[in-house]
Formats: sequence, C-alpha cells, structure tokens
Amino acid sequence: MSAAQSKPRDTVKERAELALNNAFLRKAVKYTTEKLRGGKQQAAEEHGNWEAWRERGRQIRLHTIAHLDYYLQEFAENARANGVHVHVADTGAEAVEIALAIAEQKRARSAVKSKSMVTEELHLNQALEGIGVEAIETDLGEYIIQLAGEAPSHIIIPAIHKNRQQIAELLSKDAGETLPPDTTVLAGFVRKKLREKFLEADLGITGCNFAIAESGSMVLFENEGNARMVTTVPETQITFMGMERIIPSWSDLEVMATLLPRSATGQKLTVYMSGITGPKRQEDGDGPEEMHIIIIDNGRSLQLGDPEFQELLNCIRCGACLNACPVYRHIGGHAYGGTYSGPIGAVLTPALQGNVAEWDDIANASSLCGACYEACPVKIPLHDMLVYLRRRKVEQGYSPTLERWAMKGYAAVMSSSVKLQRTLKLGKLGQKLVVRDGVIKARIGPLEGWNRYRHTPGLPEQSFRERWETLEPDIRGSLQEMDAGMKERMQQLVRSRSEGNENQGKRDSSEGESIRSDAPTAYSGKRNSDRVDREESGVNKGKGGGNHG
Amino acid sequence: MGDSYSEFLKQLEDRSRVKQERFMNHIATRLKRPRVLEKPEHPFRGAPDFWHAFTWSEEERIEHFTANFQNAGGHVIRAADMQEASILIAEQAHELEAKHIIRQDESALAELGLEKALPDASIYAWNSNAQEQWKARAAEADMGVVMADYAAAYTGSVTVLSAPNKGRSVSLLPTMLVVLIPLYRLKTRLGEILGQFDQTQTPREQLPSGIHFISGPSRSADIENDLTIGVHGPGQVLAILVG
Repeated sequence: MSAAQSKPRDTVKERAELALNNAFLRKAVKYTTEKLRGGKQQAAEEHGNWEAWRERGRQIRLHTIAHLDYYLQEFAENARANGVHVHVADTGAEAVEIALAIAEQKRARSAVKSKSMVTEELHLNQALEGIGVEAIETDLGEYIIQLAGEAPSHIIIPAIHKNRQQIAELLSKDAGETLPPDTTVLAGFVRKKLREKFLEADLGITGCNFAIAESGSMVLFENEGNARMVTTVPETQITFMGMERIIPSWSDLEVMATLLPRSATGQKLTVYMSGITGPKRQEDGDGPEEMHIIIIDNGRSLQLGDPEFQELLNCIRCGACLNACPVYRHIGGHAYGGTYSGPIGAVLTPALQGNVAEWDDIANASSLCGACYEACPVKIPLHDMLVYLRRRKVEQGYSPTLERWAMKGYAAVMSSSVKLQRTLKLGKLGQKLVVRDGVIKARIGPLEGWNRYRHTPGLPEQSFRERWETLEPDIRGSLQEMDAGMKERMQQLVRSRSEGNENQGKRDSSEGESIRSDAPTAYSGKRNSDRVDREESGVNKGKGGGNHG
Repeated sequence: MGDSYSEFLKQLEDRSRVKQERFMNHIATRLKRPRVLEKPEHPFRGAPDFWHAFTWSEEERIEHFTANFQNAGGHVIRAADMQEASILIAEQAHELEAKHIIRQDESALAELGLEKALPDASIYAWNSNAQEQWKARAAEADMGVVMADYAAAYTGSVTVLSAPNKGRSVSLLPTMLVVLIPLYRLKTRLGEILGQFDQTQTPREQLPSGIHFISGPSRSADIENDLTIGVHGPGQVLAILVG
C-alpha cells in the first residue's frame, strides 16, 4: 500500500478494518510486540536503576534540543573538518534534490541503503528510481517489503506483517527459482544476492541514530551488519540525518546505547554499533572516499518552542511505545497511514506536517492509557500529546458538527439540575421504544458503533438523584459519630492543604526550573505537578511490581 | 569526473554554508531566543553518577563477558598466551577447512605464525601492498583475524578501530571472525571505552574513521521472528581471551 502520503485517502477506521480482518497479521503483531515488550522489561530490570537512566536520557535530550542551534552548528563544523560534505535542507524535497544532484554528477547506477526512517519520510527510493538509480534496501525485512512494494509496518521489524510462506514466494520470484519456506535458506539467498549488490553499488545511503557534536561523528545501531556494509564498501556515502538526532559527546552515547537497544529489542547492545568520523583516511584500505551528511528539518522545527510538543524531538526511535500500545497490537502499523506508526506516529505525523485537521482521526484511536509513556526510554508524555492534538482539533473548529452540537447540548443540560431532571424524565419515556430486558441492543444513531460489540444499559426506573432523598437519612442513621481526636486531625489536614499548597508548590517550581532552564518555553505549573505525580507513581510501581514497561 | 565534479562540490558547499546560517537562525527564532554561540554548560553529561563507580574484578569481567557474548551467539575461549591462541586458531581453521584467511597487518598477529601453521591456506595481511583488491580479498575470506582494541564485559562487546593496517572489512566480510582480546583491554563498562573518544582524551583529528562495537554474530529476526545468523556480517564469531 502506499502508506506515508501527506493525505491519507481513507480513515484510520477503514485502514484498521483491513488489519483486523487479517488474522495472521493480528497474531504476528501480537506475538512480536509481546516478545519485544517482554524482552525490554527483562532487560530494564536486569540492568537496574531503570528510572534513573530514563531520567538521565531525558535530561540529555532536553538539554540538547534546548541548545539545538549550538550543537548542530558544532556538529556541522566538526564534520566538515573531518572531510565530510555537510548539507542542510528545510524540506524533504530539498534533501532529495541534493542527493539526486550528487547521484547524477557521479553517474551512479545503483545505491544500497541501510534502514532509515527519515528516507521513508522523503520517499527517496522512488526519486532515485526516477533518475534511473536502482535503490536497494539491504536490511532483510526492508528488502522483503521492498520486493512486495509495501511500506514498513514496524519501526524495528518492518516485515512483521508477512509470514514465511509469503516471504518465500517473494524471494522465489526474485531468485527465479522456487525457494523453500525455510528461514536459513531464505536468509542465505538474500545474503548472497545482496553481497553482489554491495560490491557493485556506487552509493551507500544510511540514516543516522545519533550524531556527536564534539567530534562530528555519526553513529549507527544495527544487528545484521548491512549498515556496516553500506558505510564500508561503496565509494560514496550519503547520510540522511533528522536535525534532532544530535547528542553532545561520546560520553552521552553511553546513555543512549544503554537505553536504545534495551528498549527496542531487549538486547544489551545491538550486534553492531558503529561510529563513523569522516570518510576513509588517505592510507586506509577501505571506507568511503567521499561522505555527505544531509541535515533535514522537514517539519521538525515546528515543534521547537511549542511547550506541548517540543519533547517529541527527544524521541530516539526505539519503537518501545509501539510494543506497549494495545491499539497498535490490534491494528498494526499500516493502519496509521504515515511513515511512523504506533503512539509516536500518531503524534509525530500530524506534528511534522503541521496539519492537525487531516490527521486527527488517529489521535482518537488511542485508549490514552499511558502505556507508551511508561515504555518510553526518554519519558515523552505521548498520551498527553494525544489529548493536546484532540484539543487543537476542537479549537481549530475541525470537530464534526454533530459532536459540537452534542457537546453544547450536554453543557446546557448539565448546567442546571432542573434541566437534567427534565431530560432524564424525557429519556425514560423515550427509551421505552428501544429498551428490552434493561438494555438497548438496537444499532441506531450514535449507538451504532458502540452496540456492535456490547449493549447500552437503559436508564433505571429511579435515578440516583431521585433516590437521594431517602438514601441520605439512611446513610446518616447508620454512621457512627467520629472520634473527636480523629476528627480534629482530619480537619487539621484539610486546613493545611487549603493553605496555598505550599509543599506541592515548592516541588513544582524546582521541577519547573529544571525544565525551564533547558526548554525556554515555560511549561505551566499544572503540567509540572502532573509530571511529578506521574514520576512518583512510576517509581512506586517499579518498586512494587518491578515492572517499568 | 575530475575538475567539473570538484566545481560541483564547491557550489554545493557554498550554498550549504549560506543555508546553514539561515537554518541555525531559524532554530533560535523558534526557540524564542538569540543564537547560542558559547558552549552551554551541560550538567547531565554521560551516565548517571552512581554508574561511574561500578567496576568488576578481572575474574568477574571474564565471567560476564563470556556469558554475554555466548548469549548473543558468539563463542569464547581462553588462551594463556599468543602462542596458545595461535594453536587454537589453527585448529579452528582446520575444522572449517578455511582456505582463505585475512588478518589485520599488526605485529601481534604476524607473530601468531599462521602462515607456518596453515601451509595450505592463503593468508593475507590487510593493506600490506598497494596492488591488491583488499575488499575482494576480505569478501572471499573464510576467516578474518583481528585484535580487539577494547572490550566491555557488561554488554559483551569488542571494539575495533580502523587504521591503514586495520581494515573495517576484515571484521565484516569473512564468513567467520576471530577476535583476540588481551585481558588488559577488557573493561567493565561501555563508558570506559566511549569516554576515550571524548575530546578531552582523543582530539577529533586523531579519531579513526571507523569505530566499531561488535557483540556477536550478525543476526536478524525479520522472518517470522525466527532468529537467523550471518545475514550480512560473519555468522560465526570466536573471541579468544588472551592472558
């Protein structure tokens, strides 16, 4: 499918329907995400002090993004000094233009690519094919879905939605002979085939997990070795780098190397972690002769200075939120209709494109349970951001007319007890038409979707409010007089709490300062107090159940 | 290519410099403050403080490195000295019927005397002459032999640095990789190694072009989560702890 378009043709519901009807997909996604999630929890537990590492990771990312212009400039200058050709691009189209110009000048015929989400954003492969350059994805999973003409459905396991038989068929077509659905045979075929492609390719194209400002180096994490091939064998290397992928120093890389692999796959470290500092030295026997790094904005700067969304730039693309998300587990990656799927995709896609209106539907496909925040190694409050998205949609007048009227009606009824009573009376009369055995089963009007899977309870004969008159004296009668000492203590507590929230206020401001000194856009006190509470509950949970995920 | 290509690169460079200034100014504007031109104080640099105090004894380092490396699918054996290591490598080569072997051009590896121990195999030392197609030699090799520059027990990783006599391909292209780790290079934490590349330890211009951390054989779980070994890189990795 042509996912990753700026305008999804259909709604998330329609896209999800496709996924929900595909039993294999649902099973595979569930199995894989649970495995990854379990691996992550185990790795985090075994490592210990996970909350302290998460907090450190968040602080480093906050600090870097708050000083992004400094670190990016430092990186660019150092990379240049290392002999790298550094380019900057405001948009994806500009970045593609630069890469195509290099490919054309070099008269390149083929390019090998290692996994890169940012090039998915740019639709680079199509652009290269357009000028006659064969672009080959070399990550096993990416190679498979490229053969199938599809887009990745998981950030770590892109071909999560394909079964062995389907893969064997795709690769058999590629091989020109029938290959058995045996993992070793299939992987062996890809190894041999891609070896040839690596050795004859003119360009090696990569993404960038982290860029180190102080030395102008770029870092790649991977398990297969294809990213090493791409940065070792072809004569020219072109690296696409989202402008937020930066960290100050190699020391900071230890924190990222601790958080990223554990959160992504539960590994202590990916099989390969490569730091590339400039093209090959003159006397070196291998490595690229020429190296380009294209730094890309493509909507990222829209988040800068936005107190609600700036933290999106902290993301290290581990996919832990996908694996933790109950919605992702059911509908799979393609239902999100963008380059990035799962909770991060639900927020990042509209944020990068700056068009809340057209992408709002995916923000509604979330249970707001906060599992994504708990899983996030740099503590991005994704579930809060989903709420902000919904709010912005309403503020900008994009909510459906019916919903707006319903909300107005609700407000009118609930603002007066008399109106509420009248409405309930009317409702009790009206529901006689549809209620059977105390429940409404008819799929009519606003109940259509709800009643498809469950029933709506009818209004009871006597409402709580009507029963209150007789209920209250009953309750009072059964209560025992409170012990005078206890009463005094409780009153004391209430008094001290209403005296301006002093303790709470103190905590807010100290937390607020640490954020503010990093992010120049001040967060409101309310938000900070939310944050503090959440952190504490997270820690407690960790102590009790040993489960941070 | 020649002149017209360098002209093209220069044009790109000029454009990029102008653009870069605008790009950075735009970031500062979005952040609602003037450009930051002085290096900011970075109070959260590196791992949390308690982590720096964490260290294992040599025995523990050996034990954890071995467990971690084996969990990732690698093999670990110990050798008392380089001589014993040489015998172990020759045994492996016999077992694998390795016909082509490539090693880094380091004196410690030359002293292994593999050429003598394996007279039937063709053995190359990386980049030891200018005529050879070195990437092709590495690609056809059954076995690549390298020295680890560092190793970290906590993650079960070895670190190899590139140099004229130390090719990146030697640890990547052969079917099997043998890494020799002198015990004194085996550290506890990843940070002890990464910290060495900080500007205070190694100035930028002295960093090698390639710094590679390797933690086992190349692997993929992309086909139905079924673990496959040796998708692109070596499918068999043997670490020999020497000392």
